[in-house]
Amino acid sequence: MNMNDYKGIWVIAELNRNGELYDVSLEALEAAKTLNPSAPAEITAVLLSGTGMDTTNAEAMLSHAGADQVLSLKHDLLGQYQVELFTKAVADLIEERKPSIVLMGATSTSRDFMPRVAARTRAGIAPDCTHLEINADGHLEATRPMFGENMLASVISPNHRPQMATIRGKAYAKTALDTSRAVNSQTLTPALSPEMARTKLLETMKSETKTGKKLEEAEIVVSGGRGLKGPENFGMVESLAEAMGAAVGASRAVVDAGWRPHAEQVGQTGKTVSPQIYFAIGISGAIQHQVGMSSSKMIIAINKDGDAPIFEIADFGIVGDVFQIVPLLTKTLKEQNLVVTV
Amino acid sequence: MNIVVCVKQVPDTAHLKFDANNQLMREGVENIMNPFDEYAVETAIRLKEAHEGSKVTVISMGPAQAKEVLKRAIAMGCDDAFLLSDDAFNGADSWASANTLKHAIQKLVPDFDLVLTGQFATDDMSGITGPALAEFLGVPSVTFCKRVDVADPKTVQAHREVEQGVEVFQMALPGVLCMMKCDYEPRIPSIKGVMKANRTEIPTHDAAAIGLPTDQAGANGSTTVTLKTWRRPKKEGGKKIDGADPQVAVNELIGFLRERKVI
Ligand SMILES: Cc1cc2nc3c(=O)[nH]c(=O)nc-3n(C[C@H](O)[C@H](O)[C@H](O)COP(=O)(O)OP(=O)(O)OC[C@H]3O[C@@H](n4cnc5c(N)ncnc54)[C@H](O)[C@@H]3O)c2cc1C
Ligand SMILES: Nc1ncnc2c1ncn2[C@@H]1O[C@H](COP(=O)(O)O)[C@@H](O)[C@H]1O
Repeated sequence: MNMNDYKGIWVIAELNRNGELYDVSLEALEAAKTLNPSAPAEITAVLLSGTGMDTTNAEAMLSHAGADQVLSLKHDLLGQYQVELFTKAVADLIEERKPSIVLMGATSTSRDFMPRVAARTRAGIAPDCTHLEINADGHLEATRPMFGENMLASVISPNHRPQMATIRGKAYAKTALDTSRAVNSQTLTPALSPEMARTKLLETMKSETKTGKKLEEAEIVVSGGRGLKGPENFGMVESLAEAMGAAVGASRAVVDAGWRPHAEQVGQTGKTVSPQIYFAIGISGAIQHQVGMSSSKMIIAINKDGDAPIFEIADFGIVGDVFQIVPLLTKTLKEQNLVVTV
Repeated sequence: MNIVVCVKQVPDTAHLKFDANNQLMREGVENIMNPFDEYAVETAIRLKEAHEGSKVTVISMGPAQAKEVLKRAIAMGCDDAFLLSDDAFNGADSWASANTLKHAIQKLVPDFDLVLTGQFATDDMSGITGPALAEFLGVPSVTFCKRVDVADPKTVQAHREVEQGVEVFQMALPGVLCMMKCDYEPRIPSIKGVMKANRTEIPTHDAAAIGLPTDQAGANGSTTVTLKTWRRPKKEGGKKIDGADPQVAVNELIGFLRERKVI
């Protein structure tokens, strides 16, 4: 392998079922744009979709967001995500066109197939990164959390190309759109056949989150814990969330107790969120919970135990009874028409 | 079913200790089985219990003390265990770990039906090993699994927890599943199990024994290099209102949100 043959930055963009881009794809594009601003590399967005899907809007948006070209991989077999087909389509394209850097937003999809692409192409991969830069030697240096978020590590791949990384949601702002930028997109047909897929999606059971807000994408999260005493009392968490347009989260204790679905669990064995504001309501703040929320920009805790560990990381804490404070907070916000905007 | 579980010994991240220079202390920290690997072991034992004639083999790459987690897996109900240990394995990233595990599995359990791994290890939090292992073995994989059912002897159904909800995937065997927190909890080893584990000899294999050239092992066989690690700046607690009348406390909070310009 000649490392100098590998050039440019790729961002693999991800579409939802309606053909809309995930926020984290535009965040990954922003990360790409911050690399080497003085001598910007060519940025290529790569899109995978089924033949019937109209991707014009997504291609335009990627171009407006800074992609110099869009490679739109289309195939009947890419209409639905499947690990081996996505791996093959991306790995073949990498081997043919030799990008130096390949980025993707960290989602359950990228974390499923990107490691396989790295294994197949003998590439180095840094997962779930919070910061990227090009170091003095010209290598991609990725910063990523380890040890239950207690540590950070910087990782490079000095002898392999491409250099791959997945970017944690909200680590970068969504990139600004410039609608005057030209759209330069090209449709390609990867060589895929049905027998390559040895897994098959049988059904999708929609997550039971009640508010419909995606926990990972929400700017405000209101999470409840065992301090709420029972599932019937989560109504006040939901009301507060609703008053602020927030998503509802939960501690593991209440998920294990069956009060809330696992889709809402924040922490080491649940989701990692980093919203602008995180409310911890009746949550003690065990380290495994903190793992999932300590990178929130502002943390507000309400707990009757003044020694609860959550107060050690809270920007603002109220030592008090959630049954008194929370309804009062919701009521006050509503009565005074206060809008929380972030 | 012939099942392999890959388990890793990790420091208990809830009780890490740091020295005066904010470096992680290796001594005096309790080592445990990676929590997600406990779910993988539990899942394997449940499959074994449901399918007569099944066998569960656990494999770990690590120093001699990693035998502790293998013993725990035996005590929980696994049948066989192998430790992969060699100075040449030092400094392996997840890519090299997956390659090492691939060689070990092909050598020690070549006729496996199913390999279970944790979704990620709580120390390096990488989540690369499982899918990369599947790629190296040339078999399919499903990540973020929380439940596994066997449909027929050559197919499993895995429930995969993703952003949108739960996806049910069918996977042809042989294959790899990466386990998250499951719908059930890992069992606590019984006294009988612990006694059995204490009697069980755990063979150790080095790179040569699994046919792994040393230039493919450890740091030499890795595609990444960790330049440095440092302690994440600990977030400081801010304002705390204690003992105030609830309305006063709420007003203070609203004042704080105004100050921060989010109201
Ligand atoms: C391997 C592993 C993985 C884990 N993963 C996760 C994870 O992903 N997410 C997670 O959250 N946890 C996780 N945990 C569990 C974690 O250690 C804690 O047990 C859990 O977070 C506790 O949840 P809690 O704060 O709701 O409950 P508790 O710890 O019971 O805290 C309840 C809090 O409510 C307060 N309270 C009670 N009544 C009131 C009231 N009337 N008004 C105000 N406050 C009140 C109490 O003072 C207390 O602080 C994990 C543990 C392990 C071992
Ligand atoms: N040294 C190892 N020995 C055995 N299994 C491992 C090892 N490293 C990683 N694994 C497996 O791979 C999973 C994911 O680890 P990681 O990719 O390091 O986050 C773990 O949960 C284990 O099942």
